[in-house]
Amino acid sequence: MKTKTWILIFATLALICSILNLLLFYGGEENNTALVYSDGTLVERIDLTQDADYRIDFGKEWNILSVKNGKISVSSASCATQDCVRHGQSNHGAPIVCLPNRLVIEFEDTQLDAFLK
Amino acid sequence: MTVRIWGETERLNEVTQLIRTLDATLSAELETSDIYAINQNKNGIVSDLTIELINKALYYSAETDGAFDPTIYPLVCQWRSAADTPPTPNLEPIGYQNISISGDEITLKSESALDFGGIGKGFAAQKSVELLKESEVEAAILSLGGNVQTLGAKPDGSKWAIGIADPSAPNEHIAVVEFEGSMALVTSGSYQRYYEIGGEKYHHILNPKTGYPAENELASVTILTQNGTMADAFSTALFVMGLEKASEFWRSRNDFDAVFILKDGSIMATDGAALLLKECEFTVIER
Repeated sequence: MKTKTWILIFATLALICSILNLLLFYGGEENNTALVYSDGTLVERIDLTQDADYRIDFGKEWNILSVKNGKISVSSASCATQDCVRHGQSNHGAPIVCLPNRLVIEFEDTQLDAFLK
Repeated sequence: MTVRIWGETERLNEVTQLIRTLDATLSAELETSDIYAINQNKNGIVSDLTIELINKALYYSAETDGAFDPTIYPLVCQWRSAADTPPTPNLEPIGYQNISISGDEITLKSESALDFGGIGKGFAAQKSVELLKESEVEAAILSLGGNVQTLGAKPDGSKWAIGIADPSAPNEHIAVVEFEGSMALVTSGSYQRYYEIGGEKYHHILNPKTGYPAENELASVTILTQNGTMADAFSTALFVMGLEKASEFWRSRNDFDAVFILKDGSIMATDGAALLLKECEFTVIER
């Protein structure tokens, strides 16, 4: 194969990679900040670009929040229902809620003030 | 529950306390609540707030011709306790006419029992906003799951933007309502809660006239109005009515607007709601 053809193939691949990169990291409605409310009070603003774990206590109850790859999840919790843990990882849309422990994790979405779930 | 207040932020504790008090007073499940006692004894003296809510519930029941009905609790219990097969609903105790009020005394006929699940959160949001109106609060937004209520203009000058859940992917929004100032918005949807019976899922919005989960073309109804209690009662009632009757009901009044998400994913909006809808395609319901 001629050198020009190889250059054309590499240039095309580089262009596709650039477009994919833009779509994956800048597209959609993903957010970089999670707002953590305990019993209605904002207790943490979490930077989702930094992998870390957080513990939020409410009386004797607790939730462990884990940030990984730009998303946050409740990795474990003392509540009986475990709905918050089952919500899984997220960085946009509906808040993650732990009703028994009065914990709400919302996403700093420039578009939405609230969400009718 | 999320409450945000701009201005007199010390009011936050009063609001959260009010919402908790109402939750504890109006729950049909809590043994210490007004409603639990009435359901057990069929008669009793209740608090002023409970009387106020029951009066409002009776008003909206009559307005919706029983599509919303707070005496639905016996049906809820039947569906909740069914294990293998759906229950054959017993409609005898159902009917808001079974409630009588004399001063602060409530009496229920026969086996009737009260459940304010279809109006309680809206009432709590409305009472909270009324409390905040008496203060120097600049603006506020309350979010109680499917209930959102705003007070005043958003301090940064932008419009309030409230997402409506996509019934087929409830963690995502299918539409956004944008507006300025105070408004109550409540969504009732068949995707929100289920009874699991014999491996089958049956959604939780029961038709008081049939005793079965309301089945029609609707996946959710969102009501937009100035009063949180009305928004909550009407979202349940219009879901039960179905699109055609709900549209007729809307045409007969001028105190609310609605957004209907159909099971096929299409969106229909009354003409007032259509002016506020963003990020979606929809069909306008004309007067």
